[in-house]
This record gives sequence, structure tokens and C-alpha cells, in this order.
Amino acid sequence: MDTDIVLLKATGISKHFDGVRALNKAQLTVKHGEVNVLLGENGAGKSTLVKIISGVYSKDQGEIYIDGKLVNFHNVRDAQREGISIIHQELNLLQERTIAQNIFVGREPILRSGFIDHKKMIQESNKLLKNLGLDLDPNILVKDLSIAQQQMVEVAKALSFNLKLLIMDEPTSSLTRKEIELLFGMISSLKKEGVGIIYISHRMDEIRRVGDRLTIMRDGEYVDCMDAKTSDMDDVVSKMVGRKIENFYHRNYNVPGEVILKTENLCGLCFRNINISVSKGEIVSLSGLAGSGRTEIAKAIFGCDPIIKGKYYIDKQVVIRTTPTKSVKKGIAFLPEDRKKEGLLLPMSIKENICSASLRNLFPNGLLNKKVELKEAERYRKEMKIATTNVNKVVGKLSGGNQQKVVVSKWLLTNAKFFIFDEPTRGIDIGAKAEIYKLLDRLASDGAAILMISSDINEIVGLSDRVYVISDGEMVKEIGRKDLTQETIIHYAVSGGDSE
Amino acid sequence: MKYMTIKHLYKKIKIPGIAYGIITMFLIFGLLTSWKNITLANLMLIARSSSVLLLASIGMTMVILVSQVDISIGGVMSLAGVITASCLGNDINIIISILIGLLSGVVFGLFNGIMIAIYNFDYWISTFATMGIASGIALVISDGATVPILDDTFNWIGNGKIGNVYTMIYIAIIAVVIIAIILKKTRFGYNIYSIGGSEQSALFSGINVVGNRVLVYVCSGFFSAMAGVMLAAIGSSANPIGGINYSFDAMAAVIIGGTGFNGGKGGIFGTIIGVFMLRVLANGLGIMGIPATWQRAIIGFVIVSVLVIDALNEKQKRTKSKRRVYIDE
Repeated sequence: MDTDIVLLKATGISKHFDGVRALNKAQLTVKHGEVNVLLGENGAGKSTLVKIISGVYSKDQGEIYIDGKLVNFHNVRDAQREGISIIHQELNLLQERTIAQNIFVGREPILRSGFIDHKKMIQESNKLLKNLGLDLDPNILVKDLSIAQQQMVEVAKALSFNLKLLIMDEPTSSLTRKEIELLFGMISSLKKEGVGIIYISHRMDEIRRVGDRLTIMRDGEYVDCMDAKTSDMDDVVSKMVGRKIENFYHRNYNVPGEVILKTENLCGLCFRNINISVSKGEIVSLSGLAGSGRTEIAKAIFGCDPIIKGKYYIDKQVVIRTTPTKSVKKGIAFLPEDRKKEGLLLPMSIKENICSASLRNLFPNGLLNKKVELKEAERYRKEMKIATTNVNKVVGKLSGGNQQKVVVSKWLLTNAKFFIFDEPTRGIDIGAKAEIYKLLDRLASDGAAILMISSDINEIVGLSDRVYVISDGEMVKEIGRKDLTQETIIHYAVSGGDSE
Repeated sequence: MKYMTIKHLYKKIKIPGIAYGIITMFLIFGLLTSWKNITLANLMLIARSSSVLLLASIGMTMVILVSQVDISIGGVMSLAGVITASCLGNDINIIISILIGLLSGVVFGLFNGIMIAIYNFDYWISTFATMGIASGIALVISDGATVPILDDTFNWIGNGKIGNVYTMIYIAIIAVVIIAIILKKTRFGYNIYSIGGSEQSALFSGINVVGNRVLVYVCSGFFSAMAGVMLAAIGSSANPIGGINYSFDAMAAVIIGGTGFNGGKGGIFGTIIGVFMLRVLANGLGIMGIPATWQRAIIGFVIVSVLVIDALNEKQKRTKSKRRVYIDE
């Protein structure tokens, strides 16, 4: 293989959306058989850049060379012909179709008669799946697969082109630890075959493991490219945000006040015999692998999922047959992991979002009062430091961090005293993460009780007063602040507490 | 080799159980109340009226498979019938008359497709508007009156028989077989399922979403026009509001047949069964002496029951899959 000619060279790429500059002379190179990790805050232009490389968007300016040859993609098909495939963050499989149909979607093999060659589709799919070490029948419907298996099908689909360059956008965000290992194994075997990989991730721990080089972007521009194994993480972070971040995890630990939440042998759809408690001024975390039942516990407490057995107390009062409406009245706030779908009304303004959960309190006679709405929204804009000039702006245009602040404001306005944060920093860039951490700390200091669910173990260790480790739907260990390390959490989450 | 059992077939087509229940009930009551009305001739008539609805439902199936809807079907049917009848009335050659009728459907389908797929107008509103235009033009051309058809060859299509079976039943069967092959065995068919399953996935997979959508609406227009021409052939005349109920009936047949509005799921076989159910239901009501005015309400109830059963099924599946996570992992 010619090592002088790089696999992908993209230079001077610029792109505007409706007059807003998304990319300004961005550049990126990928060599054969290497993983180049693309880093940058949300809105830095990573996704736009890879979408241009994979033919989803067209570029305004710049050149892309594949193996030294100038290419110009008009659509996805053009890029696929050159061996470029992208696995999007949200998987793009057809749930009601089979694995084979998904692998060959849009370019099914055709017999001489003009009909689709089913036999060949199945054979080829079998071959591809076997190459990936997957023992799956290509006739299975995709909706019957786990998320990780679906991702593998996406990889198989990418391999079915003469894959040269694979782009993965946050591939691990919904995978369990075991599944991530599988994915990394696959990445290294692809590398051996000379495939280049662009890997986008927010998880710092992954970068060293899979990356060979890393490319940093900021505000749509190229910042730096360095060796992934030897780079200094603090240096990387400061280059990403353009400033040093100090005190990433900042906590003023308080003496816990009275107990807000207490559960007794709570059983639900995916969990059983859960005994946990949260007091005022505390941040208590639920940790465990994805699918261990963490989120379901929170949802059951808030009233979205059924409770099968057991009971729980809010403010020492037993709760029976709750619904989200009743929970809100009791002062419980639930900040869901999918902010955009479940936490916010995206096309509506910031002020309308802030007031949306407290309409009954603010306007008891049923008539809206715009002045009150504006006043409350302004109060929280200042208090929460929401970065916007005008609360009449549409909330969908804010960055992830500011959106999260709007959600918190919305719940503060309901006089919530117990906050459930499900993945508070998922999909949020580093600068905004630090702000959310400060916010969590402030809420706790002001006397709120906080139950946090997170996949980011650093975050849990850095912020929690106590941690409950959930494994297989059961609470296996309570860890206090003194014994709190990443290793202990992982140990109990994986072993389920059996090794004691 | 895999063989098809009835269970397989049931799983594939997915007719909600309650619809079966209702139909069986009506059949039994019908049989009990009036034995003598069940004759081969009567069954043939049911089959013939089914074939008109079946043709109209072909296009609707395709459109619903791409997660959209075409409510202009009834209007286009009326228009195509009236146009063909008028051409025949002016002594134009029968084949050319039929082709002009079919062409009107293609034109309306193309218009729908361009508005919806290319200019991104809402499909409900667009096809609602074209329904108005088509049925309006039908009224203008016919001057509001039924257009009689005197051409014997043409009327033979509707009333003549080959063997013991109406000619038009053969036509419907051929059309259905062609569409079944297209859906199961060609790229166009696969693309329909892909676009309906997820438009974004289809786009990211390099499928020409716009072009395929336009083609789907053209097919829908074509088959509705065909149904309209057939309807005129049965009655030996074209009624300018004759197709008006067909938008409702076709949509009902497709939904009862298990093709969901979420797209990417279902197919033509379910629609065939949906069509027969509707027609048998109508006939059963007649035999039982229930006035025809009740038909629509009852069909509506059947559709509601379909939705309820579907929702319950989904819920059960969700609960089960959650339990599975809890037990297996």
C-alpha cells in the first residue's frame, strides 16, 4: 500500500446554512488503517464536516481528495461508490425490514430479469455478518435486535461497499460496556485491513483507546492535529474550548437535611426490591450499565412506568398510584435523558418553555398573562445565566447546555424540591458540562434533593454524595463518598455484587 | 424448504382478530336468516364490486406504504369515468377513450406527486384539494348528469363474462398480481417500503425519495382512474359523483388489511382481504335486513377496533420486551 498518499484529504472546506457559517476552511486527513478522532464542542462543525465528506451535504468551497484523486460528491450514492460510509449517531435502519433488506437498501442485487435477487442478498449478508463474528439470521427483522446488534448491522452495511473510509458519529453513546468492547475489536480488525476511520466522540477515555491521531475543531475551524496516544488531555480540552477549564467537578458538600425520597422494596418492570433514599442537599446517583434498570426506577417514581410491588415515600408520605401530574404537584422534577423530545417544546420560545409546567400556579383562572410570563422568564434567565439576549427566542436554537438550563428553570418555577436528572450532560460539550455541574452543586446547596442517573462514571464520582449501584434490576451496593472510585463502581456494576 | 402454514399466512397478513369476529358473525347471521340468497350469482356480484374497490385500493396501499395518503382517489375515479363516457359518446374509438380516461388519472397523480414530493406541501391538504378539482371537473364535463354509455364492447368489460366469471374480475386479478410482484421483487417496491419505514434512512442510503414518491402518486392516480372506468362499465353509464365513497372505502380496506399509517409495513395481500371483508360485510348487512345507511358507521367501528387491537398488541409487546431485558441479561 502506498503510504505517501493519504486516504482522505479534505482542505479548505466551507459551508454556510442560511447565511450562518458552519464551517470555515476546515481540514482533515485520514491515512490508511488509522483512526482519526474528531474532537470539538457541540456546534464546532464536526457533524457538518463528516456529512460533507459522506455526501449528505454539498460543500460551498474546498477540495476533497480520495487516494490523491479529486472527488466531488453530489449525493450519498457518489460517496458510497468511493467507499465512504457513515454510521450516524441516531441509527438509520428500517425497523420493519429484515437485516438483509437493510444491508442492501437502495442497491439490491438484481437478476437479469430485472427482479431482485433474494438468494444473493441472503448469501452476501450471511458472509458479511460472519466476517463480523455475528451469528444472526439475515431474515430477522431489525426491530427484534438490540441496539448493539443494530449497530453491527450498520457496520455490515458499510462493509458491503468496498469500504475504504468509515465515519462513526458517537457510536458508543447507547452501548453497554461489553458491546463497546466488541465494537473496538471490530475497529481494530478494520484497521488491519487498511480501512481509515473518522471517529467522533465526547468520551475522553475512548480517545486514547481507539485513536491514533486526533483532530480538534472549534467554531467551524481547524485548530490542531496531534498524536492521540501521547497528547496531554488538559491541553486537548483547552484547545477544544479555547480556554482553560478549572474545577471541572466542583462540589460543596452539605450536611444532608431531612429525607425527601425513601423507597421500600420497590418492584417495577425491569427492577425489583429497590431500597434507596435521597435527602435534602444531597446528590445521590444511580449507576449501572445501560439496561440495568436505572432509568426505569426514576420513571416509576415519577409515575411514567408502573410499580408492581413495594411502596415509596415523598416527604414521609406514602405515595400510591401516582401520575406525572400528581408528582409535579408534590414537587418532583424529572429531567429526561432525551432533552429535545421529552424535556422541551422545541419550536416554542424560551419563556413559554420555562412557564410550561407551572401554568396552573401562575394563571389560576386559566387566562394567560404575558407580563407575568415574561417576568418569570427574565428572572430565571438572569438566575440561571441562560446565554440569550431575548427570552422570546425559540428554545431549539439554544446550545445543549443552555437548553438544559431552560429545563431546570422550568422545574424551579414549579417549586420542585426533588430533582431527578437522567443523563444531565448527554450530548453536551465540555464547556457547557462544567456549567451544568456548577448548577447541580448550587441546587444541592440551596437545599434541593437530587437523584442523578449517568453513564459517565467520572461525573458520578466527581459529584455524588452517595452512589447506588444497580445491576440486573437490583440494587447491589451503596457506596459512600469516602469509598467512591471508578473501579469500585464498575466492579459492582459488572459483577452484580456476587464476588463479595 | 419453508412451507406456508395458515399460521404463517396469518402472521404475514396480520388481520386483527376482532375484524374476523365481526365478519364471521355477520356471515353466520346472514346464512341463518336467508339461506336462499347465497347463490353463485350473488357471490359473483360481490366479487365484481370488490374488484372495483380493489383497483382503487391498490394505489391507496402504495401511498399508505410510504406513510402518506391520497384522498383524491374518489374524485379521480368519477372524473376518469365521466371522461371515458364522454369520449365514447363522441364516437371516439373505445381503446383511445379508455386511454384518455386513464391518462386523466395519471395527470392528477403526477400533479399530486409534484406538489407533495417536490414542493413539500402537506399530503392531506394537497390531495384534498385535488379531490375537489377532479370531482368538480367531472361535474362540469357531465353537466351534473349521469353520462350514458351505449358502446356494447365497453359495457361487456363490466357485465360480460369469460367462463362463468365477470371479465372485470380477471382484470383486477392481473393488476393485483403485477403490483404484488412490483412490491416484492423490484427495487421500486423495496424503495417504497424503505421510504415508508424511514424517510431519512432512505435518503442516507442514496434512494431517490422524491422520484419514487412522485411515481407512487402516479400509480395511485392510474389505478383510481382504472377503477373509475370499470365502475362506469358496470353501470353502463358514468355518474359524476359515483366515486365519491371510494376514498373512504379504499382507506378502510387498506387499514383493515393491516397496512399501518406508520409506513413500511403491510402489503397488497392484506388489502385484498380488507376489500373482501368490506364487501362481504356490506352484503351481509343487506341480507340481514340492516339498512345500507348503517354501513359506514359499522365500517368505522371496525376500523376503531383495528386500532385498539393494534395498540394493545404493541403495548403487550413493549411490556414483554422490557420483561425480557430484566429476565435474560
